[in-house]
This record gives sequence, C-alpha cells and structure tokens, in this order.
Amino acid sequence: MKAFADDIDLIKRIEDGSRPAFEELVRKYQDKIYNLCCYMLHDPDTARDAAQETFLKAYSRLKDFRGECAFYSWLYRIAVNTCLDEKRKSHEVTDSMETTPAVEDIPSSGPSAERLYQSKETGRAIQAALQKLPDGLRAAIVLKEMEGLSYEEIGDTLAISVGTVKSRISRAREELRRLLGGRI
Amino acid sequence: MKCSQIRKMISPYVDNELAPDELKLFTSHIQGCPACKEELEKIRSIHQLFACAERFEAPLGFATRVMAHVEETEEAGLFSRIRRLFAIRPLFLRTLEVAFALVIMLIGVVSGNLLVGDRTSGNMTSGTQTVVRETFSLDLFQATPPDSIGGVYMRLAGD
Repeated sequence: MKAFADDIDLIKRIEDGSRPAFEELVRKYQDKIYNLCCYMLHDPDTARDAAQETFLKAYSRLKDFRGECAFYSWLYRIAVNTCLDEKRKSHEVTDSMETTPAVEDIPSSGPSAERLYQSKETGRAIQAALQKLPDGLRAAIVLKEMEGLSYEEIGDTLAISVGTVKSRISRAREELRRLLGGRI
Repeated sequence: MKCSQIRKMISPYVDNELAPDELKLFTSHIQGCPACKEELEKIRSIHQLFACAERFEAPLGFATRVMAHVEETEEAGLFSRIRRLFAIRPLFLRTLEVAFALVIMLIGVVSGNLLVGDRTSGNMTSGTQTVVRETFSLDLFQATPPDSIGGVYMRLAGD
C-alpha cells in the first residue's frame, strides 16, 4: 500500500513537471523492467532498448494513467507490449533459433538437476525455452515467475481474466516441462 | 474429485492462488493419488528452476540514458513546434512585408502630396513660393542652368 502511495506521489510530481521525480521512478523500476525484458526477449541489447522505450512511453503517456490499476501493473503492461512489438519487428524467433543455443544443446551430463539449479545457465536455459512459447504464455509465466505478480495483477497487466491467467500459466509450465525435458 | 480437475489446480496450488475450499479438496486428493503427486512435483521443479534463475539488473547508467532521451525528445518536440511555426510564417510574413511596404509607400506619397500642396497653396508668401518652385524645379537638372557658367556662356553666345 505504501509503495502504491509512493508511486502516486511521484506521478503527481512528474505531472507538475518534475524531472527528478521521473528519474526516481526510473531508478525504482529499472531492474524489474529490464529483467522482464531480458526474459521476454533474450537478447540483452534488445532488452535494454525495449526497457528504455518502456520508460519513454510511460513518460509520454503518464497523463493517460488514471489509477485504475497499480502503477507497476500499468508499467509492466507497457513493457510487455513493447517487447512483443520488438519481437514482431525483429523476427527474433527466427534469429534466436540460429544464434542462441538450442535447448537440446544445453549440456545435461553429470548431476544435471543440481548443476542447472546452481549455475547461471539455468537462466539461459529458461530464456531459450521461453522464446519458444507463444507470446501470451510467455508474458504470463514471466510476470508470475520473474516478477512475482499475483494472478489478479497479471490479469490487470495483460488485460485478461484471472481464469485466462491460470490457464496460460498452467499451459506455459507444461510446455516448459516438455522443452526443458530431462533437465528437470 | 477427478484427476483431470485436480491437474488444473496444480499451478494455482504452487502459486498459492487456490481458494480455501479448493485447497482442501486439492490436498486431500493429492495425499491419496501418486500420479497427481508426481505431476505436482514436476510443476514444482519448473517453479524452482525459475527461483534459481538469474535476475538481471539494469546496465550501469541506464537511468541517465533514459533521462537524456527524455530531454532530447522534449527538445526535439519544442524544436519541431518552432520549426512548424516558422514553416507557416514565411508566407504570412511575406504578405505582411508586402503590405507594410505598400503602406509605407502610401504614407510617403500622401505626406509628400500634403507637403507640396501645403507649400504651394495660397497660404505661403510669394517668396516662399519662389523657393519651393525652385527647389522642386527640374532646372537643376538642365545641362546649363541659367545661373551657371555654361548658362552665362550660352547667353553670351546667343547674343
């Protein structure tokens, strides 16, 4: 609740023309938005551009935010849509199949379950697998697993019902289980 | 409850999103169903993988770059607004310039007429009239004005 009130206060100051207030907002959410973009897009440079674009869009559209949901839900919505637009523009699915290691190429020898859990390759494996999911499933599972949003918050962010959120997350996990296969 | 219904509840259970009555049904089923329990463990493993995955932090200077873009965008917006204003204005300005020139010319003509009219009217003394006539006379532009050396010579030559 306090975080929500803090955001409202910052937004009021930004609307009054305070750039330091907007910078404070950027610093508050930059890691969350960048992390979300990395898992939505995989490529760090594209993710950085998408994250920057998210904040620029938020700045120009702040007057459209009416407080119907939490500010971070509104910001995540912009981020998800920006990432989906970026993906469509760059046809990243085709590129990622050529340049990123295929899920099958990730080594699974040795104590694979423990190794995956302990190493950074877990993130890379998940990123690669996420790129193979349909956009809607990927957005829902990233918001749940990486950002820890509730089903209701995910529904607000993606403008879908809680029932649809449940369904997408279940299907995403089933698909990831199939893609990550013997590594689980 | 059927296993097919329970399996739909596995993800919400892992995410603590089950309503209390659903939770009761789910846990009692899971306790007695190895197949559903195995499904639950597989979904939990996916959930745990994400928990161990790297959390990316924004690159150094990210906020500074965003603010720089904000400033650039605002300046560009202001510049384009000014440019649009100047793009429209030359036509308007040209019209204004022509109108202004015409007005100045008109003022010049009217004031000149008034000045000449005033000076050559009956209000002036004859001496003043003579001066005005001579001032506005084109005799000044003659090759040999009467009171010039040439003019004197021409008179003498004519005599």
